[in-house]
This record gives sequence, structure tokens and C-alpha cells, in this order.
Amino acid sequence: MQYLLKAEIFKLFKQSKTYYALGALFSIELLILFSAYYQGTTIIDLLLENLKQKFYFEGTLLNGNLLIYLILNTLWFHLPLILMIVVSGTLTSEYKDRTLQTIMLQPVSKWKYILSKYLVAIAFTLLVVGLLAISSFGLSYAFFGKGDLVVYLNGLNFFDATDAINRLQWSFLSGALSMVFFSVASLTIAILFKEATKTWIVSAFFLILSNILLKVDFGDNWFNQLFFAKLNDTWQYFFYYTINWEQVLFNSILSLVYCLLFMGAGIYWFHKKDIG
Amino acid sequence: MIISGINLTKYYGKRKVLDNVSIGCAAGEICGLLGANGAGKTTLFKILFGLITPDSGQVVLPKHSIKPIGGIIEKPALYEYLNAQDNIHLFASIQGLHLTKQEINANLIKVGLPINRTDKVENFSMGMKQRLGIAIALLNNPTCLVLDEPFTGLDPLGVSSLRKLIADLAEKEQLAIILSSHIIEELSKLCHTLYVLKEGKLVNAGPAQQLIAENTEVYNICADNIKQAECLKNYQVEFKGNCAMVTIAAAEVPHLIHLLDKEQIFITSCTPELSMEKLFETNRSCNIY
Amino acid sequence: MKKIGVIILFQFLCIGLSAQVVDADLLKVKNRLDSILSFSTQLKLEVDISFINMPVKKAQMFYTKGKRVKFSSDDFVMLPKRGLDFSLNSLLEYSFITVDRGVEMRNGKTYKAINIIPTDKRADFSIATVLIDTKLKRVMETEINTKKDGTYLLTLQYNTEAKILPDKVIVNFEIEKIRIPINFMGKDTELDRKKMKAAGTKTGAIYLTMSNYQIKSVL
Repeated sequence: MQYLLKAEIFKLFKQSKTYYALGALFSIELLILFSAYYQGTTIIDLLLENLKQKFYFEGTLLNGNLLIYLILNTLWFHLPLILMIVVSGTLTSEYKDRTLQTIMLQPVSKWKYILSKYLVAIAFTLLVVGLLAISSFGLSYAFFGKGDLVVYLNGLNFFDATDAINRLQWSFLSGALSMVFFSVASLTIAILFKEATKTWIVSAFFLILSNILLKVDFGDNWFNQLFFAKLNDTWQYFFYYTINWEQVLFNSILSLVYCLLFMGAGIYWFHKKDIG
Repeated sequence: MIISGINLTKYYGKRKVLDNVSIGCAAGEICGLLGANGAGKTTLFKILFGLITPDSGQVVLPKHSIKPIGGIIEKPALYEYLNAQDNIHLFASIQGLHLTKQEINANLIKVGLPINRTDKVENFSMGMKQRLGIAIALLNNPTCLVLDEPFTGLDPLGVSSLRKLIADLAEKEQLAIILSSHIIEELSKLCHTLYVLKEGKLVNAGPAQQLIAENTEVYNICADNIKQAECLKNYQVEFKGNCAMVTIAAAEVPHLIHLLDKEQIFITSCTPELSMEKLFETNRSCNIY
Repeated sequence: MKKIGVIILFQFLCIGLSAQVVDADLLKVKNRLDSILSFSTQLKLEVDISFINMPVKKAQMFYTKGKRVKFSSDDFVMLPKRGLDFSLNSLLEYSFITVDRGVEMRNGKTYKAINIIPTDKRADFSIATVLIDTKLKRVMETEINTKKDGTYLLTLQYNTEAKILPDKVIVNFEIEKIRIPINFMGKDTELDRKKMKAAGTKTGAIYLTMSNYQIKSVL
């Protein structure tokens, strides 16, 4: 099994398209960082409008922490989109080039093979989120420094610099779990559709649908609690003044369950299907 | 028989792609599968490999072997963004083989590939890709090698050198090799046994030379002054330049050559022209077992 | 005639004099405050506004007589515009008159209430009411009706009887609840129309706790 994993990692990093994807992600991150900075003053002014009448402000809210928060807000659409393309590509390219057939002509277990693809996809996703987190923290602090964070979430929440860093780190972790879910889903979609373009379209559709359904309120019932689309917003919970750890834990475990379900379904289908 | 497929039948929807087909090959033997495009050759091979399951029948492979059968389906499928060494290393590692650099080079040399080329496989010619495909198929020492239309896309030089490689592998490594093609000339020079597939059915099978002889009614005899031959007047002949297409039974050919020789007509070549219609004629019994 | 003229003149003088006269107790407090040349103190700020969650903030405050108050802080701090001027100078900057409003009770104690009404248009407030502890000669409460920034109510607390600078100040004010567009950053699933309509003006407070005063005064 470890040889399959090594082989998958080798293949992933030998392909130029992986580096194009990484390059795109970092460019987008830089773009967001600087556009957030230029927009930052307007945002803060808008948030603090009412308060300006009564208060002076000492210190600046337009600092690295706010910019990381703004990056976080936009990250969870374009990041899964690119991740889904790369991850699903690890399987669709093998269908297209028929190397999957060559592999299956060797004494390789089918379910182990596809499981190794899932595991490498998950590892890659975590790596990418980790790198984005480190770079966004690094760049934001380097250029804009640390400071208090203000977030509008049912009221104005102000966080101390250290508290803010903590919460931002947790958010990245939570977001990473969401990204793992989408990566796993895209690989399962690739197993179903095999062909690259169809897989991209269905994956993108899945992502967009998830984002739309996120905003729809199904009422305070079990569906709203358990529906997978609702779980992708878990990172926001870290910006309520008091963190509802129970809810966060519940959501995270549920996300993991969904990941395992998608993964299990994918492995089952792949194992059952004929190759070629 | 090291490898055999017994009474294999496969449907794709309502269409019967394979109808009760049996095929087998022994160690050191080269078996050819002849059939037109769409006859079911690739499907049969996929069943032998275990890539698809037959609706009825069974495949018998050598037991106690990590990799009983290796081969190529359609074209060789390789990782085009990797070079030859990386390809071999990758395919070896996933089946638990740890090859040193020397061992990888030995694999390349065995199939006649250069060991000093480090550029990506996408730059390779079709012939080189075929060889690399065979090298990968031979990883883990299978006892059978199955090649699906291996001569497709090769130039004449490529065809002849690949033919030599396959013959060497059968003889030296005692592999059972099954080849498929839709061009008889490619198979006739190489194979010991021939199977003929038409529309999913096995219509003919037997030792290659015997099958060719049984189904050859016309011989193409060439000589400088062939048109002047008197003995040819006894046969149905069609003249084309210095060659005569003579309708004659195989057994009578040596006698005809002798007669021509007596007339001072010295032949430069005598080629059997296989009758495809006869070869592919259905309603015959094929008893290879 | 002469007698009437003198009486009228005297009355004018009296009126004029009383118009210029600042309440004596207020003056005593002001003089006491004026004796401070400069001070610095550590500030602890707690915000109590319904739609704001903020941790306790720390800052340093520096006062030099005749100059504007300065602040320094490592964090981001919100400082109320009013309530940080302990010297009364902001109220007494421009010409004003005082009106004695009698006494008022706070927590069982009696304090003198004085209105300060600026007569100069440049003043930024219309009227202020100061509650003075006449015995201890210090300000207990100030209510300022500013022209543009609403009303502030400052409550000052002192730990000992001798202190002139407060240890705790509570600043109460009115504040409008913020209205932010729906799609703006953050989790936006909770759209409570009723709450939004009931927004309007609310009261909020800031608690300032002072410690470690370093005072330089005229002896």
C-alpha cells in the first residue's frame, strides 16, 4: 500500500499542471491580500460609522489580522474549485491516457489503488491549505503587522491580537476539513464520470450548489443541522465572541462522516466497475 | 497449455460480442489471433486479463504466480510526462518490485531500448513505446504475454525488429505469447498457431503453416520469362508483369516449380496468396483441443 | 433723580456682577483641579454596548495642563469623546454662566447641582449639569448635552476622600444600532427583521478604571 501511495505522490508532483494550480492559488491569494488592503479602510469605516460619533479610535484595525480574515472569507470558493480540478484530474487523466488499464494489467489490488488516490488527495489538500495559511499569515504580518481584529457577526466583535491569531488558525483548520470534503467528492465524481470535462462541470456544479444551499435557511430542524452544505460554514463559528465548541465539534465530526461516506461509495463503485 | 480461455461468451447489451470462444497457448509458443476490426479480439484479451468479466466460460491461468499474465491492450499506455526509467520504476514499485538502476537498465536492454535516453516518453516513436510497453508487461516475470495488435503504427523496419524481439522472448524466455492482428502477413511469419475470429465466433484454428496451406488456392510465382511457360497453360493463371497468379493446390507447387525449371524458367519468388474468404468461412468445426 | 440713577446703576452693576460670578463651589473644585500640572495613569476600558463585544482594553493616559489629553495603547482602543477630561477645562473653555439647581441625592448622599451654560457660540455643548461634593471639593457626576454628539452622563468614583482625580468613571451615552448591508462580510444567515426595526437609539456605557496615577502638581 505504501508503494501505491509513493507512486501517487510521485505522479502528482511530476506533472506540470499541479504547479500551475499552486501558482494560480498563490497569485489569487496575493491579489486578495492587496485588494483587501485597499478596500480595508472602506470596510472599517462602514463598520465603525455609528461609533465615530461617540468615540476616538487609538490603534489601527487595518492590520494583518483583518486581511487574513478577509482572505478567509473569499478562500472557500476558488480554493475548492482549483483543488477539485487537480484532484479529479489524478483519475481522469489515467482514464484518458489509459494508464489505468496498464496499471490494472499489473498485479495491483483495485480497491487499494483507488484508496491510495483518495489518501494522496486528502494529503495534498491539507498541504495546500497549510501552505496558503502559512503564506497568508506570513505575508499579512510582514506587510501589515498585527493588531486587533473586528468582525461583524450579529454585532461588532473585537478580538485581541493573540485571540485573533488563535481564532484564525482554528478557522483554517476547520476550512481544511471542508476542502478535504470537496476533494473527496470530486474524486468520487471522477469515478462516476471518468471523463475530465464532464467531471469538472459536475464538480463545479456541486460546489456552486453547496454554496447556494449554504445560504438557504431550512428552518431549525434536523435537516438544517445535518445537511452537508451547512457544514462548510463551520469556520465562521470561531468569530462569535464566545466560541460554541460543541457545535464546532459536532459539525466537524459530521463533515468527517460525509467524507468517509463519499470515499466509501467511490471505492465501492470503482471496485465493482469493469475497466475499459 | 499455460493459458487458456474456455467457452467464453460476452454480451454488450443485446449484442453478442463473443460466442463460445476457446483459445489457448503453451510455453514457448506464439499464437496468433486473426480477425477484422470489431471481431472481438480486444474483448477476448480483456477477458483473459480479467479487466472485464465474461457472461459465461472461464479463464485458466498459471497458479502460484504473482503476475501470471502481462501484456498490452490496444496501444501501449504509458506516463508520457515521465521518462522510460521512471515509467519502469513506477510500474515496478506499485507491484512491490524494487528495481535498482542497473535492473531497470537491464529491462530496457532486454527490449532493445537505449539506456541513455532520459527525455519524456511523449518524445518516443511508436516502436519505442511498444518496446517500453512490453518491458512493463514483462515486469515480475509473467509466464504469458498478450499483445493486442502490436505492429500497428510501425514502419517496416519497426515491424521486423519487433517480430524478432517477440520470437526471441518466446524461445529464450519460454513465454507463451498471444498476438492479435487484422493483417495476416504480420502473423504468418511469426506464429506457431493461428486462431481466426469472425464476428465473435472462432471460425478456424490450427497450426499456422497448415492453416495457411489449407486456405491458399493461389500462388504468386515470379520469374523473368514467366509468360512463356508452357506448363502454366494447364492452370488458371493471371499475369501481372513478371509474376503469375496461379490457382493451384499447395501439394502441387513443388511439381510446378520442377516443370518451370525444365523449361529454363527460373523463379525468383513463390508466395502463397491466402484466401481470406476461405479462411474466414463459417460453419467449420475448430478442434484445437 | 440722582438717587434713582445711583440705584439703577447699582442694580446694573449687581446684575452685571452676578452674571460674571461663577458658582463658588465650582470655582473651588476648578482651582483644586488646576493645581495639577500633569498626570499619567493606566486606563482599563470596558465596553458595555449591546451590539459590541470587546475584551477589556488597556491604555495609558497623559494629561498636561493647557494641552490636549494624549493616549497610548498597544491594542486598538475606543475612547469616549467625552468623559476623559477630568479637569473640567473642556466645559469651562469658553465664557459661560452657572445656575444653582439646588441639591440632588445620589446613593443617600447629597450633592450640589450646578448648570453650566456656555454663552459663547464656539462651545460644543449647550448645557451641562455638574454634581459637586461640596465637602470634598470634587465632581461626582457630569451630564453634558453636546450640540452634535448627543448626551453624555459621567459618573465619577473615588476610592478615598482625599483624591481629586477619580479612580473609576462610568460614561453613559446614546448610540444608534448599526445597520450593515446583508451581504457584507461574515455569517449572514440570521436576518431578524424585528430586531432590525427595533434598532433605533439605545444607551451604552464605557467603564474606565484608573490606576497608578503619577501626578505632578503645584504644591
